[in-house]
Amino acid sequence: MRGRRLREGAGLALLNVFFIALCFVTLIPILYALSVSLNGQNSLLSSDFSFIPKDFTLDNYLAVFTGEDILTWFGNSILLAAATVAVSLAAAVPAAYCFSRRSFPGRRLVLRWLVLLNSFPAILSMFAVYRLLRPMGLTNHRLGLIIVYTGTMAVFSLWNMKGYFDTVPVEIEEAARMDGATDLQVVTRIVLPLAKPSVVVTALMVLIYVWNEYIYATTFMTGEANYTLAAGLYSLQATEMSGSWPVFAAASITVSLPVLVIFFLSQKHMSSGLTAGGVKG
Amino acid sequence: MEDRLKRQRRGWLVSYLWSAPSLALIALIVVFPILYTFFISLTNMNVYHWFDYTVIGLDNYVRALFVFDSGFLSALINTVLWTVVNMAIQLVLAFVLASLLNIRKLRLRKLYKTLLMFPWAMPGYVSILLWKTGMFNSEFGLLNQWMEALGLEARRWLSTDVSAFICCTVVNIWLALPFMLMIMDGAMQSIDRSYYESAVLDGANWLQRSWSITIPCIRPIIAPAVIITVFTTFKQFDVIYLLTQQMGAKTGSGLHTILTYAYENAFITNNYGYSSAISIIIFLLLLAFSARWQPGGEGEK
Repeated sequence: MRGRRLREGAGLALLNVFFIALCFVTLIPILYALSVSLNGQNSLLSSDFSFIPKDFTLDNYLAVFTGEDILTWFGNSILLAAATVAVSLAAAVPAAYCFSRRSFPGRRLVLRWLVLLNSFPAILSMFAVYRLLRPMGLTNHRLGLIIVYTGTMAVFSLWNMKGYFDTVPVEIEEAARMDGATDLQVVTRIVLPLAKPSVVVTALMVLIYVWNEYIYATTFMTGEANYTLAAGLYSLQATEMSGSWPVFAAASITVSLPVLVIFFLSQKHMSSGLTAGGVKG
Repeated sequence: MEDRLKRQRRGWLVSYLWSAPSLALIALIVVFPILYTFFISLTNMNVYHWFDYTVIGLDNYVRALFVFDSGFLSALINTVLWTVVNMAIQLVLAFVLASLLNIRKLRLRKLYKTLLMFPWAMPGYVSILLWKTGMFNSEFGLLNQWMEALGLEARRWLSTDVSAFICCTVVNIWLALPFMLMIMDGAMQSIDRSYYESAVLDGANWLQRSWSITIPCIRPIIAPAVIITVFTTFKQFDVIYLLTQQMGAKTGSGLHTILTYAYENAFITNNYGYSSAISIIIFLLLLAFSARWQPGGEGEK
């Protein structure tokens, strides 16, 4: 009896050691970047490297925040993200409601095509989009990117919220209608508050998409003043990587922080707000 | 009777009006460019024929599908291999880790899960760039520092096809495992504990229990997520592009998946017509797959 308990205890200890090691190994690339970003420039190439910075300094972060470019990029990202989220939601919420609740000819067909379109990688039609936007003067313009981003996320937004609306019981709405509420009142007073998790998750997914998108931003925009954070970070590592790896590490950590915060705050909603829609972003 | 018909018509009109902005966006920015891509694929448009291109019919498709040297077929084979390898490793690892996480007496489960979620929570492109510079870079990458510490020769990790494939796979697994782990873990928690108790009484070992209880129970729950992951793996662009073939910073490996191949032909070698033909072929492949497999097809209710 005691032998068995001892064996179990040893097994459990082993399991804990295994998971601690696994977590550490998983986090190595992030920890290394964090440590490099907090370290003074000169200790970079020393061979006796450790994960605890020896020459602790915030200079690299200072360089990130005082670098003029990065603040411009930050502003661009905020502007693009806000505009894209606003347009996406304004377009997708009423449409998602209609597709979930009302029946009309063509509904099935459109839904079927939306599923198929959702599997289409936007990169494949990127050149066509580029060629269409260029004569309109939109290729080196933030408006062009907003248009591309809203379009790219439109299928997801519509489908994801439609999926969630489907799970909200109709009876509540019917009761409200009995009491004489108009369509608009039903949507704003009843459906939207009930569907809040899904609206929030959809908004967050669009936000994160814009925040992380680099390929359109670097291909369509020339001139660093127009870059978003993602595009800027990309150009930072591509052009002057060797000189500024600590600054690049600091910038990476800075850019990731808001996304990490959003992710862990919304993790609970994420699973319900996403799985109900049946699509992963 | 007529009144009812009228009201129904009015209802339809309202629905169309409410859906119009969203559907118009999709039509203009998603559907129309696809049609336009199809048109470009029938022409010889490239950097020299930006305006004065001519329609050349299906030549681009012939070149992609029947000329092996063009590279599309080998990219396609690579992509299939990539998808199979990645999915197999991912499923096995996620299954083993989720099983271990569900051992009942593991108290710190929550902490481990949170820490293991980090690769998923980080912006993907940032992680990939950090891997590229922090781990694989030949000068200050950790891998080479370790190699030197062990007295081995430093290597250029991303310079050959095979080692680039392995590196990309490692990074992709790192990125994708948390999602699969979360799905499997959630599915395993929904299994009734009493099945295991009676199995233990019958003397079944871990493998037998996994095979005859865990796997059958979680299969229907994880199926949609697995299918979605197969699609995202097949369509993976960021990992391969950012690690090995950034514009102006190629690492020397010729590894291509179909998406990076299409991108390279559009924006680097500027074979617009040919690249568009590739895009359409990939789109048709994906359509065929998703018509068959993609979940979420309006459960016909």
